[in-house]
Amino acid sequence: MTKHLHPLTLFLWFALIISMCVITMNPFCLAAGFIGAALFLICQKGHAALKIIGFSFFIVVIVAVTNPVFSHNGATILFFVNDTRITLEALIYGIAAGVKLASVVLWFSCFNAVFDSERLIYIIGRAFPKLALVISMSLGLVPRMLRDFRSINSSLKAVEKRRIKRHLGAFSALFTRSMEDAIVTADSMRARGYGLKGRTFFNRFCYKFRDVVYSLLFIVLFMFSVVLNVEPEFYPMYSCELSLGFVCFAALALIMTVFELKESLKWKLSISRI
Amino acid sequence: MKNKTLVFAIFFLLILLTVIGGTAVWGSGAFPYISLITSVFACVPFFLSFEGEKNTRRVVLLAVTVAISVAGRFVFAPIQFFKPVSAIVILAGMYFGSEFGFLTGALSAVVSDFYFGQGPWTPFQMISWGVIGLLAGILSRYLIKNKIILLVFGALSGALFSLIMDIWTTLSIENGVFNIMRFFAAVTTSLPVMAVYSVSNVIFLMILSPIFGKKIERLKTKYGI
Repeated sequence: MTKHLHPLTLFLWFALIISMCVITMNPFCLAAGFIGAALFLICQKGHAALKIIGFSFFIVVIVAVTNPVFSHNGATILFFVNDTRITLEALIYGIAAGVKLASVVLWFSCFNAVFDSERLIYIIGRAFPKLALVISMSLGLVPRMLRDFRSINSSLKAVEKRRIKRHLGAFSALFTRSMEDAIVTADSMRARGYGLKGRTFFNRFCYKFRDVVYSLLFIVLFMFSVVLNVEPEFYPMYSCELSLGFVCFAALALIMTVFELKESLKWKLSISRI
Repeated sequence: MKNKTLVFAIFFLLILLTVIGGTAVWGSGAFPYISLITSVFACVPFFLSFEGEKNTRRVVLLAVTVAISVAGRFVFAPIQFFKPVSAIVILAGMYFGSEFGFLTGALSAVVSDFYFGQGPWTPFQMISWGVIGLLAGILSRYLIKNKIILLVFGALSGALFSLIMDIWTTLSIENGVFNIMRFFAAVTTSLPVMAVYSVSNVIFLMILSPIFGKKIERLKTKYGI
């Protein structure tokens, strides 16, 4: 499902969620963002996601523990360390800030999992076609250069035994070769009419009606979650209440995961029927 | 030229608006995210002015330079802490101009993070390497002539990269309050890394700058770039 949507729709979804995670300090919303990201990442990556999620817990713990050390606001004193007070409110604030940071990091890795270079270059290419060309060329050149480097390096092994010196020599040879290649490529591109007016870029994405529907749904959910959200009080006393904004944001954060699960369930059922 | 100045002015205003408006609306808690947006905005004028580049050769050369700096990261991966990215960015800025240097730095960050993982740190890497390339371009007259200045610049740029990344670490952990003590703590813990960055920059520039400089000069006279 996720991969069938148009890159712009997906980009909108990520942008809205990440900005909501950034805007709010409401613990419920932050938790929804965090859990949504974790579930979505597991859907996309399976076991590999667990490592990243473990790392994000580490972020939460670090921020939660260090905040009370540096910040002494708050009415409820837990204990004293060397005459500085450690307060409950600072701890809660630290946890919220940690979850916020961790959920932004997690959403970025979700973004990584869904947006392969083709989608990302498509997005960049809408605004900066030349830049997108440079990025996609470099992405293609890197593996080719590594191949070239290995072949140069293996022939240099016959004449140079010291590893660092050999690597540097091969690297320098690679540099010359690639630079000359660049000029040839550029001339050949020009000969084929690169940069002339009216030329378009190839892409295999198609903006369908359902992209319009989903985009509108995302925007409406986002607006409701911003407007209806109630920001909590941390200092001097912590207080926070559940609001409709939380419900909307949870729906926005979980919507893709639900679709993915629904589809894999359908697939499993259709297999079991055979 | 007038157009370019206008674009830079507009984005400078946008950055000011983000910083002032963001702080006014969400308070200091939003600093890490404001700085994220700021660094993206800072890159955009360079990207826009690159869109006006008519010379296809320069476009492809940029792609190759970026690819070289990223490939270098892989090539020297077995030798620990040797990362030629900053050195290549400095050389690009020195010989192809400051805008080219900035773009090499910023795009190297983007492309290498396709392999090492994109994240909230990508814009900060973009801006740090970009600024290194930009400065190398601005100071190119002195850097090409005097090797000692070049090496000092290399060492300083390693420190600069590390310091900018430390600002990001501080801001993101403290959730916005730029605690100077915490910044010093982050700087102290990253001192060894900083030293390694600087030393590897100096070594790379010492070995590569005469060779690569000659090669680039030859290329420039041969093809008239």
